[in-house]
Amino acid sequence: MSVPTTATHEGLPVGKLSAYLDWAQMLTGAALILFMWSHLILVSSILLGPGVMNGLAWFFEATYMAQVGGPLIFLCFLVHFVLAARKIPFNTAQQRVMLANAKRLRHPDTWLWIVQAVTAMGILIMGAIHLWVVLTNLPITAEKSAARIQTGFWFVFYLFLLPMVELHVGIGFYRILVKWGFVDRPGRWTLKKKENLLTAVFIGIGLLSLLRYYFLPLK
Amino acid sequence: MGRTLTFNIFRYNPSDPASAPHMDKFTLDETERMTLFIALNRIREELDPTLMFDFCCRAGICGACAMVINGRPGLACHTKTKEMPDEITLMPLPVFKLVGDLSVDTGVWFRTMYQKIESWVHTDKKFDPTAQEERMDNGLAEQIYELDRCIECGCCVGACGTALMREDFLGAVALNRLARFILDPRDQRTEKDYFDVVGTDEGIFGCMGLLACEDVCPKQIPLQEQLGKLRRKMALAAVKNILPKFLKKDF
Repeated sequence: MSVPTTATHEGLPVGKLSAYLDWAQMLTGAALILFMWSHLILVSSILLGPGVMNGLAWFFEATYMAQVGGPLIFLCFLVHFVLAARKIPFNTAQQRVMLANAKRLRHPDTWLWIVQAVTAMGILIMGAIHLWVVLTNLPITAEKSAARIQTGFWFVFYLFLLPMVELHVGIGFYRILVKWGFVDRPGRWTLKKKENLLTAVFIGIGLLSLLRYYFLPLK
Repeated sequence: MGRTLTFNIFRYNPSDPASAPHMDKFTLDETERMTLFIALNRIREELDPTLMFDFCCRAGICGACAMVINGRPGLACHTKTKEMPDEITLMPLPVFKLVGDLSVDTGVWFRTMYQKIESWVHTDKKFDPTAQEERMDNGLAEQIYELDRCIECGCCVGACGTALMREDFLGAVALNRLARFILDPRDQRTEKDYFDVVGTDEGIFGCMGLLACEDVCPKQIPLQEQLGKLRRKMALAAVKNILPKFLKKDF
């Protein structure tokens, strides 16, 4: 039988660590959501032309935002992983309990959490590879990006990474708002619809941008 | 009407060494306004007198008949068979100690939990039985009552992925219960006292926001809203000393 065994009671004050870590998990998550959405918009500038994309890339280089911001995002990404992983089950028994519960309940939000946890693992590996490849080959230009994607391997790589990131980020956005009580019961359903639509739109823009890079004529 | 319903029911009696967990199949003809409560009683009266399940009020007030109905925790007395498919699978609530078949012991779990969160009004005021009861603002009384509608059925705990994975997680019912005392002006506990009870990963910071509690609660208690408010309140309480003055509002 399960009973709550470790909650504290009067006379045994608890530290604030859990609260600090929860703040940090939410804030790094929120920062990464904003970054990922901005990132996709910036990358999709290729749809307006390589010149626009190069201009934007130049701006971020010239202001050192890429050189400094890039590694900071990398750090944020790793910290967020470590913090959020505290909640993800890594032992088989717990994973089976979680999966069995989601299947039994047929509950969309429980499934969304599983999607978040699974995509987190993919993003940890593929996102780290992407960050490394891009940050060790600065400056970013439309031609360099296009050349990488046109190798074929990287095109397929991004076909997996793009939906994983957009799903993770979209669900994360929804979950922060419901977990921190910024929406009420009716608001939750509206938010979920909007979040799904936003994710679909971002995946669409991302796919179009990938195709544009794939077919961009190289000099 | 006129349907024949098939019930797959979990059977196991932990106190009988010869018993092994298995599923039993029963069929019943559906009658008008049939609920699972009625169906289970008919099965016990007509087909198998050894079937164990709990019920008391048959009106969604006592919370005793909570079970897993086609995968979702719910109240047997609240579930109309006409809203169910021809085949219905019934399992006991997880997390709680199995008494036998569909009957679980929620009492011990709830009592332990209430002791952990100290689920009573903390006051040093001496009770005067001759004095008139102190007045409370009607709006506030209604807010407290909204959370007090909890019938302790255990559905929110049985549906919570976090509670299933982590035995030490308090669960929505406990967090909602504490939220009720936070609202109550008669409880003299301070914000720090409340933080000491739920400001941990076993308490509000352990909640992963899966929201199955909100979606299965048979009394439609606004659990998502309450858990969200509690998280904000406890998170702010932890950083109050480092926040600049203009941010120190209770939002």
